[in-house]
Parts: sequence; structure tokens; C-alpha cells
Amino acid sequence: MTVCLQELCLSYGSKPVLDHFCLELSCHGLTALTGPSGCGKTTLLRVLAGLTRPASGQVEGVDPTHTAFLFQENRLLPWRTVEQHILDVLPRERRGQARDYLALAELEGESSARPANLSGGMARRLALARCVALGGDLLILDEPFSGVDQARALRILHRLRQRGAPVLLVSHEPAILAACDRVLRFDGPPLSLVD
Amino acid sequence: MSRDRLKKTIRIAIPLAFWLGVWQLAALWVDLELLLPAPLVVWDSLRTLAVTQTFWLSALFTLLRVALGLLGGSLMGVLLAFLTHFSNWASLLLSPAIRVIRATPVVSFILLVYLWVARANIPGFIAGLMVLPVVWGSVSSGLAAVDGQLLELARAYRFSPWKTLRLIYLPSLRPHFTAGFLTAFGLAWKSGVAAEVLCPPRLAIGARIQQARLSLETADLFAWTLVILALSLALEALLRRALRRGVEGP
Repeated sequence: MTVCLQELCLSYGSKPVLDHFCLELSCHGLTALTGPSGCGKTTLLRVLAGLTRPASGQVEGVDPTHTAFLFQENRLLPWRTVEQHILDVLPRERRGQARDYLALAELEGESSARPANLSGGMARRLALARCVALGGDLLILDEPFSGVDQARALRILHRLRQRGAPVLLVSHEPAILAACDRVLRFDGPPLSLVD
Repeated sequence: MSRDRLKKTIRIAIPLAFWLGVWQLAALWVDLELLLPAPLVVWDSLRTLAVTQTFWLSALFTLLRVALGLLGGSLMGVLLAFLTHFSNWASLLLSPAIRVIRATPVVSFILLVYLWVARANIPGFIAGLMVLPVVWGSVSSGLAAVDGQLLELARAYRFSPWKTLRLIYLPSLRPHFTAGFLTAFGLAWKSGVAAEVLCPPRLAIGARIQQARLSLETADLFAWTLVILALSLALEALLRRALRRGVEGP
């Protein structure tokens, strides 16, 4: 799939984050976005997922209702167990696959735990597993492996690749970037493509 | 008896013994049963009352009226909290009215409602009216405090309104509702019995209190007050346990 961003403009207060930003992005396999913190990567992902509306400009080639977005924060529900988090996003006919998503994030042994009993890395993996379980034409992942040890992150990334759905992710980890099919480097704000 | 249990028993027994002693000394000092009967006189009166059918039926009907008022008022409080949270118009129109109910003395309502509602229904209605603003206030604060990030997650993850209610709103509101409900419980008892005293139905603790007052049976008056106290404390303890279990989840 090809995502086309045209003349996107967006400011937070008087600070422009997207200033007539244009990008044509061929999304297949694993695509990584990297750049300094605060340059506008998260804003770009939120615009792609339809969570933030730009002041002007157009997004073509992506249907926000068919994307799955992993927030920068875990946003887990303290009153739900690990397994319930997965079941909550699965339609009835796919509920039998909950274990597969827990396995993808290496959380099989934690299915009845609640978020308060998970380590930071486990909580992040649960948020990621829930996002992958939601599914869609495009997975948009904002720092999916923060707090996750590198070896495990690479294993999970490998499983994501095997699933086949295109993935767009933000990361600062050189090992993660090296494992992706392409890396886009940004600077900003306002957001601009470096190379 | 375990050490914790012993500690707990002592924490209840010592203040109880102290205040019973104060009561006994005060009764000895006043030396007039009509004004202040001694604890043992009240206990005798309670034992005499407890063997009558009227005693149990009065307690049962008062309990039913208060419970119905509490449940009805709580339900309305929750529904109105959702309405005023999600509709600016409803908030504009209803919030001041609910605040007026909260600020109005209960006795004014009892005397007003006496003109409009059948006597037997007044205590339940008044209890409900007193409960409503308390539950409304607690649930409204809870709704305002629901985590915006979780609500954004619900939108991004395409949760239906029912799922958002079930998975995000209701669990987030539970501690707020519990606090409001327990406060409202005490209010329901006080206002319900006050309404029974002022507009006495045939079978009611309030009616028995009124009767004891008119016939200058001060020991009976104290005995009925003890019944109210015992029922209120016992039910509050049960409610607290049930609601705590709810908060902790299965």
C-alpha cells in the first residue's frame, strides 16, 4: 500500500509541527521512522491513524478505520487481566486466537495477571499484543519496544514480519532500525525528512 | 482468638464501655427516668419491645422504605449524572435544581411532600430525594475524572458505546459510586426515619418513636433509637463488605 501525505499543516499553539509536510510512503514489510524526540513523529503517526486532524492538507491511501495504532503510553485497563485485554479487541469469531497474540508478545504465562503486576516491559508487550490483535491493513506503532529487552524485541519484530501486514513504527534503537526493511530519518519541528 | 481479632474487639469494647459508663453516671446524676433513662432500663424496654410482632414489622417496613428510597435515589442519581455529563442542555437545566435539592433542609421537603404524596410513600420518597444529589455529585465527579487517554483508546480501537461503558466508564466510576452510596446510605436512614416521625405510616420505626414521645415513654424512645442505630451499622458493614468485594473484582 502507498500512503500519500500532501501539504499537511498542524501547530500546537504557536509552534508548527507539520508545515506543508509532504511524503509518499510505500508501506510494505517493516518501515521505521526515527529522529530526535519532539520532532513530530508521533504527530505524524496520529494523523495517519486519524486521531489528530491536520489544520490543512490531505492523507490518501490509508483508511483510519482499518489501522491499528499503538499509543506511546500503554493505556492498559487496570481492572482487566492480560488475556481480557486481548479478548476485548477480538471479534467473537476470532476469540480463539487470543493465545496466539499472547505468544507473539511472549506473555503466555501471564494471562491471568493484571497490569499492576506486570513489569514495564511486560506491560509494553501487552499493549503491543492488543494492538496487533486489533489488526488492520496497517499497524502503526509508536515506540513499541520501549522498556523491552533487545533480544526479545527482535524476536517479536521477526514475528510481526512473518504476519505479513505492513508495519510503520517509531524507534530510536539502532538494532530495531537495522532489523527493519527501510528507515526514514526525520528532523524538526517542523517535521522534515532528512534523507 | 487471633491477635488482630483481639485488637479489633478491644477497639470496639473499650469506647463502648466508656460511653455506657458515662451514660449510666449521667442517668444517676439526672435521677429522672423521664429525662434520661439508665442503660439497663433502656435494655429492659428493648427486650419488652422485641417480643412483639409490631416491633419486627415496624423494623421490616422501615428497612424496606429506606432500601427502596436508597435504590431509587441512587439509580436516578446515576442516570442524571450521565445525562448532565453528556448533555450541556441537561446540565444547564438540571444541575442547579439538584444543587437546590441538596441544600434544602429535609424537614421542608417532608412537609411539602406531605401535601402531594400518600403518607405511606413519604419516607421512601424523602430518602430517595436526599440520596439523589449525593450519588449524582459523586458519579458526576467520577465521570469528569475518567481517563481521557482510555477514552481515546476506546475510539481508536473501535469500541462500541456499550463496550466503552462496560470496560472504561463503569470500572472508573466504581470507587466514586461506592463512596457516594455509603454516604447516601446514612442520609437515607436519617431522612427516612425523620419522615416517618413527621408523617407516621402505620408500621414504622418513626411512628413508634413518635408514639413513645407522645406517651412520654423515654426508655422506648431510646430503645427505638438503638434499633435504628443497630440496623444502620449492621447494614452499612454489610454494604461496605459487598462493595469492597466489587471494587477488588472477582
